[in-house]
Amino acid sequence: MSEQTAEEKVAELTALQAALAAEHAAVYGYGVVGGRIREGRRTEAKAAYDAHRARRDALVREVRDLGGTPVAASAAYALPFAVPDSVAAVELAAELEERVAGVYSDLVRASAEGVRGTATEALREAAVRAVRWRGGSVPFPGLAERAATPTASATPTA
Amino acid sequence: MPFPPPPRTLLGPRRRSLLASAAGAALLVGCSTDADDSGTTGGSESAAERARARAASDSNTLLQHYDAVLAAHPTLADRLDPLRAEVVRHAAAFGGGSGGSTASSSPSASASASPSPVAATPSDALTDLATAERALADRRAKALLDLPGELARLLASVAAAGAAHAYLLTEGAK
Repeated sequence: MSEQTAEEKVAELTALQAALAAEHAAVYGYGVVGGRIREGRRTEAKAAYDAHRARRDALVREVRDLGGTPVAASAAYALPFAVPDSVAAVELAAELEERVAGVYSDLVRASAEGVRGTATEALREAAVRAVRWRGGSVPFPGLAERAATPTASATPTA
Repeated sequence: MPFPPPPRTLLGPRRRSLLASAAGAALLVGCSTDADDSGTTGGSESAAERARARAASDSNTLLQHYDAVLAAHPTLADRLDPLRAEVVRHAAAFGGGSGGSTASSSPSASASASPSPVAATPSDALTDLATAERALADRRAKALLDLPGELARLLASVAAAGAAHAYLLTEGAK
């Protein structure tokens, strides 16, 4: 996949922007998580927050390298559910990671070597963090189309 | 922040047709040679088929490792069964045996697999399994760089799942 067509470059840039938008949302979301999560898991939340900021900054650079204008963060994001307490905060963190995993799997598909390697790594990190938050595994992190397949295997046990 | 959704539909059909053809090809290709496929020309159909077959046989080998650990340490069943079930689904996603029963995977896969003997203690056995999951995830993360987009995406997801398994098998302990 050394030579990308113009069309493939557009697809890669689009996927990069989608990943960037998801990282903006994750950074915002972890701000909420950090405010609600119980003391014992606050360090973990802070580490995840920092990781997403670093990914976001790297994506900004990659978008620029491809000649794009990085999408900006929104001032605020609608949370998928209310986050009144630590339990909900952990759930939100898991949700954020799953969304991020989804955009990175798309970026893997749309990108060529360098960006693809980074996206693969980012997908893996998101999947591991999602498991830490949830306590259970999913068979295909980041693949929404496979998430609905009927199976009981993913029941969180922890 | 409006931007177009990722072009999911663009490559979708291609993957499906590949899936159908690769299942048969899987049995013809040799199993886990440890070569790192450096010579393959990126993206060619046959390279993709080989990679898919390889991924299926890798998942089957991993499955046998799970089964060996489960046979030696039945008390780990609660812990391992959910992960094992996911490995079965990975093998199936790559076109390898439809999974479920232990010995049903392709004969070539089982012939090539000779997992090292299971550690005497459950915790060592879990560590070994985690190491195997992580090593495979690492190998897949490299292999996918040269593959067609849709297969690369699947492999990246399965590699991520493997890394998550490794976490659950070790740090996720207790």
